[in-house]
Amino acid sequence: MHFAPLPYLDPGSGSFLIQLLIATLLGLGVAIRASWGTISKWFGIKPKTKADDDDDESEAK
Amino acid sequence: MTTNQKQNSTQAQHDLLSKSHGQLSASFRDPSGFLFSRGGVLYRQINLRYEQEYTRLIESGLYDKLVKAGLLVQHAEAEEAPAESDLAYKIIQPERVPFISYPYEWSFGQLKDAALTTLSIQRRALKAGMSLKDASAYNIQFVRGKAMLIDTLSFEFYKEGQPWVAYRQFCQHFLAPLALMALKDIRLNQLLRVYIDGVPIDLASELLPSKTKFNFGLLTNIHLHASAQKKYAGTEVKSRPATTFGKQAMIGLIDGLDSAVRKLDWKPGGTEWGNYYDITNYSDAAFEHKKQLVGEWAGRIKPKLVWDLGANNGVFSRVAGEGGAYVISSDIDPAAVEQNYRQMKSEKNENLLPLLLDLTNPSPSIGWANEERDSFAGRGPADMALALALVHHLAISNNVPLPQVADFFAKIGKNLVIEFVPKSDSQVQKLLVSREDIFPNYTREGFESAFRRRFKICEAVNVRESERVLYLMERL
Repeated sequence: MHFAPLPYLDPGSGSFLIQLLIATLLGLGVAIRASWGTISKWFGIKPKTKADDDDDESEAK
Repeated sequence: MTTNQKQNSTQAQHDLLSKSHGQLSASFRDPSGFLFSRGGVLYRQINLRYEQEYTRLIESGLYDKLVKAGLLVQHAEAEEAPAESDLAYKIIQPERVPFISYPYEWSFGQLKDAALTTLSIQRRALKAGMSLKDASAYNIQFVRGKAMLIDTLSFEFYKEGQPWVAYRQFCQHFLAPLALMALKDIRLNQLLRVYIDGVPIDLASELLPSKTKFNFGLLTNIHLHASAQKKYAGTEVKSRPATTFGKQAMIGLIDGLDSAVRKLDWKPGGTEWGNYYDITNYSDAAFEHKKQLVGEWAGRIKPKLVWDLGANNGVFSRVAGEGGAYVISSDIDPAAVEQNYRQMKSEKNENLLPLLLDLTNPSPSIGWANEERDSFAGRGPADMALALALVHHLAISNNVPLPQVADFFAKIGKNLVIEFVPKSDSQVQKLLVSREDIFPNYTREGFESAFRRRFKICEAVNVRESERVLYLMERL
């Protein structure tokens, strides 16, 4: 697989590699959060319903 | 003609053509399109190569969502003829930004909000199958009091497995300067004036205190990032399959940056004149009288754009803006600008822009061909400039002769409200306490004769319970 089309900014090799590392680590956290409902069910904990708030978030207020 | 001559001649013609098309000098880096100005109106040409991305931006609803959330400037599709028709797909007319400002003119809070806006856009873009292809602080501007993306062409298709191409730029433009400002010294935002593509990561890593290595966000995104850049410089990077860098990994990266930015904070302390109005020497009556005069004169001139220079935390800027003018409220003190910005946000003031500016060395034109980022004076003139309790700092602290002070103000403002603070005033006495008085012409007469060369003096009013005089002048 290639990065097609190539970006118009040079992302930098080191910057690419370090973000792979960070993203892999933090991505695990995201995956755990995403499947938290299922995990809690295994332990008999009732999952809280969480609305998808990203579209309503107003950041940088 | 030799081939070289032909090439030169074609290049010269092309340059001329570009200029005649009104293409903006800062708009050249991205082949997706460019900005041009025609008849005083700003347009953006979208090139054919960007057709699919633009269509996705609109049809996915991402554009509407971002505009609704106040994260992206809105635009209208225009019938205007393209500036370069061979390349053109569409012409759009973006909402005009009232005043272009640059990250080295922003307070800590402004740069932080610009960073959070960028990350918030990236999160929403990912949901629509798109991703930001750049994360430049220069693409963010303050419109109606909010940090917004102004580059409609910053989006590309998101392909799972593809890391964030703008990651390095985000760290350089936002995370590194914010960390330096919060954890080392607030004045280090001025590095952005030297490094137009953001603070180099290795420099940030070197300057930051070693305790930042215990902060996960800074350890990874700055310190390890700097080491990786050094170690892998020039190495070809092979792409990773989607399973290693899936969408969740991308979201993890963005969330991590968001949390690193949010953890950084800087509180304005009593630096320089952050608490000026508490230590000032004039009475409430004098203060109220000044406010009344500024309000009256602004009401008479009805300016659209006001520059309040040396605005402190913006009390008089707000008075000058009561009639609806857009007010640039600038000061040299980062604490005053930060206070002003926080207050602006809490009062939801949409017509005020606090900026950090050292008038003795205002922002120059920088970047490619000295044309990418405009100088402060080049972004004027203002309909009305305010220079309250300022002239003694320029003329005495900075030794600028009064005629040259008048020349500068004549360049930047059509009308001028200026306060003369005489030598007998205790604030001026403080400036002279440890130095020789080499300013024989610093008198009311000397001040008026210097300014008469450039301005018509319309009003001169003695400020109540003080020795100060407030002038309303009109440029000749």
